[in-house]
Amino acid sequence: MSGGVVLAEVWWEQLLHGILSWEFLQFVVAFVSIFGFVLTSAVILILAERKVMAWMQDRYGPLHTGPWGLLQTVADVGKLLLKEDIHAGKIDKAVFILAPSVFLAPVIASFAVLPFSPYISLPGGPLATGIVYLIAMSSLDVVGVVMAGWGSNNKYALIGGLRSAAQMISYELPLVLSLVSIVMLTSILLDNGLGTIAIKDIMNLQMAQSWPGKGNPVWDFIFEGFTPWAWFILVQPLLLLIYYTCGLAETNRSPFDLPEAESELVAGYLTEYSGMRWALFYLGEYGNMTIVSAITAMLFLGGWSGPGVAFLTAPGMAIGWQVLGNLLALFYFILKIYLLCGVFIWVRTTLPRLRADQLMQFAWLILIPTTLVNIVLTGALYLVLNALGASNLVFLIVLGVVNWLMLFGFFWVVSRATTASTRRAVAPAIRARQRLAALTTTPVAPQLPEPERAGVTGAAGGGR
Amino acid sequence: MATNQGVNRPPLEGVAPGELRSEEMILNMGPQHPSTHGVLRLVLTLEGETVVDCTPVIGYLHRGIEKILENRTVMAGIRYMDNADYLSPMLNETAYVGAVEQLMGIEPPRRAQYIRLITNELQRIASHLVAIGTYLLDLGAFTPILWTFRDREGILSLFEALGGSRFNVNYMRVGGVLHDFPKGWLQQCEAWCNQFEKNLQELETLITGNEIFEARTQGVGYVDPQQAIAYGLTGPMLRASGVNWDLRVNRPYMAYREVKVNPQVRQEGDCYARYRVRMQEMAESLRLVRVAMDQLPGGPISTRTPIALRPPRGETYFAIESSKGELGIYFISNGSEYPWRAKIRGPSFVNLQILPELLRGHKMSDVVAILGSLDIVLGEVDR
Repeated sequence: MSGGVVLAEVWWEQLLHGILSWEFLQFVVAFVSIFGFVLTSAVILILAERKVMAWMQDRYGPLHTGPWGLLQTVADVGKLLLKEDIHAGKIDKAVFILAPSVFLAPVIASFAVLPFSPYISLPGGPLATGIVYLIAMSSLDVVGVVMAGWGSNNKYALIGGLRSAAQMISYELPLVLSLVSIVMLTSILLDNGLGTIAIKDIMNLQMAQSWPGKGNPVWDFIFEGFTPWAWFILVQPLLLLIYYTCGLAETNRSPFDLPEAESELVAGYLTEYSGMRWALFYLGEYGNMTIVSAITAMLFLGGWSGPGVAFLTAPGMAIGWQVLGNLLALFYFILKIYLLCGVFIWVRTTLPRLRADQLMQFAWLILIPTTLVNIVLTGALYLVLNALGASNLVFLIVLGVVNWLMLFGFFWVVSRATTASTRRAVAPAIRARQRLAALTTTPVAPQLPEPERAGVTGAAGGGR
Repeated sequence: MATNQGVNRPPLEGVAPGELRSEEMILNMGPQHPSTHGVLRLVLTLEGETVVDCTPVIGYLHRGIEKILENRTVMAGIRYMDNADYLSPMLNETAYVGAVEQLMGIEPPRRAQYIRLITNELQRIASHLVAIGTYLLDLGAFTPILWTFRDREGILSLFEALGGSRFNVNYMRVGGVLHDFPKGWLQQCEAWCNQFEKNLQELETLITGNEIFEARTQGVGYVDPQQAIAYGLTGPMLRASGVNWDLRVNRPYMAYREVKVNPQVRQEGDCYARYRVRMQEMAESLRLVRVAMDQLPGGPISTRTPIALRPPRGETYFAIESSKGELGIYFISNGSEYPWRAKIRGPSFVNLQILPELLRGHKMSDVVAILGSLDIVLGEVDR
């Protein structure tokens, strides 16, 4: 309730006022539309995943429900809703029942601050601490997973739940650290010198104010608010990679899908779940994918920016053009999200799964040091260049070059690490070979006398 | 799962009373588990995620094939051999008819021997394709199994054209084979070979250089050469440990006396080496199929043997290099139409014995990595 409403004397009148207010209506609409978006997006993504994976694997995927199997996931959702909710014996009932909701709730809550277009955004859209809020919500997921693992009273589920607790907490750190440098950039780019963690402001910073052919209506239409050379992906490509990798781990997607590794843990923390409770976990996973992709799109790829958006939604345009501009923005934003989700799917079809200890090593020994070094480097570069009197543009270019070099350095370090561990791994084989060579009489490869090998006539088996 | 207060057990050494301590957990993996390759049951003792001990429990797929063979005539028994190692029926049949032929002193015609070689090598490719596909599936990669099954499908179609059945082919006969190649079969096989050569390259690109795959398999499940010999390992398991032993080379049988095989050996002895040996063997088998098709002699495909076959009194052991190792048949005949005893020496069964030894000290995720690299078929383990 906003401050303007006169508070009534009786509590139920207050309540009534609240329920009948515009804010409440807005809240209801927001909630329903978020939930609708998460559901629809998950259904579309699951279908897309099945189809894209099928194309990559030389098969058709779903074909029979609806044209080209388009209604397959809809039918699946129907089935899951109607399915019996099975509780295994001796489960911790309250924890077991609550876990899916605890997992899904933060996912839905995160959508509250996503701006979908210049005007289409939910009540939380203008939140000044957008990034912090998103990170906080994404770290709450782990509670639901651990609850599911514990409540199921199943050893596979317990191992899965504990694995995911370790994994999600470890990957939270490089994920946050990789966003810190973006926030540092904003403090340099903004005039107030403070920087911002509001999502909309960060997106606006990626829209340059000048572009080739400014003044020409055609170029203005295309480039106003759409300046890919100002996107942060060019300045911080390594962080995009790290953020995205951590996003894979946060959402338990391949190659970090250890908590639900079907070949080791049957289904991990999902083992005892069925029906709609199971589907809620899936909904949460795909919602998480959407969130990670959306953050990547907003912080690194300019968010909704695309040809024509800012031109059409500029103040002074007719209302029809404004609506069109907003729809275009929505289209670009969702397109970017789905393209990034496509990378999730692509990775899933390509890579095998890591082992738990390797997963931890990768986070603590490679990702966290890299992000820390990057933060220090960003700050140091700015201080040095600022002292030399260079402009912000020079700083950005230098930082971009350094970061691209670091990206290749990162690949080099990772491959070196793999080679080193490989060398360690094959060491026993080398030692064994040396031992064998030292022995004079080995039972290895006794060679038969030639006549028997030459295929003289005899029984089929070559004689006894 | 938590502290074991109230449980009547002696305190662990070095742990003060009231201190937090962990307990071993017994995890029953299988027989219904996605990646125990059938119905193997592993009773794992875990400390955290580390495997302390492992007890394999087998017998869930026991169908009494050896006993069935005693109650069928020699000719009728061939069909039951298909079901022992159901991923390489052609090889099983060859071992069985080879044992009978050795006992009776029959030498099949050269063309029949070459046909056997071609089908055996195709079967070896098919078996290795399944081994590699399921292995990568165990490691969490979803794509390779679909690619390998696509290629395997071509082999099964070839077998269908040959014997009328895709899986349980029932194609070998004592003294030869059932049919000659049907018209156009060789062209079809040649086309498949050309396609497979490309697909194998593609598969290699997808898997071999992958750093996650290397990190998961290199140094995992290491088998010492001496240990491998001591456990009686055969096939790719043995050759991956650096022991150059291949029955097709060291005890050549049938057409292998004329078509020379290059045994594929690697020195590392780990899961990665086993995978590489299988990949190399597929390329080698492909070469052998082509060589055999080039040299394919004419003539009859079978000696004239009666349907009611009565092998002479006596016993024999005949072994071939199956896709998984030495597949031997110990055949005793008392002179009747029925074998008195037909013992199958299944390579899967022997190779499985080393599993507990390999698993100790590895992580829980490595259990499937090691088990998959053994390439066991429970049909052959339990028989």
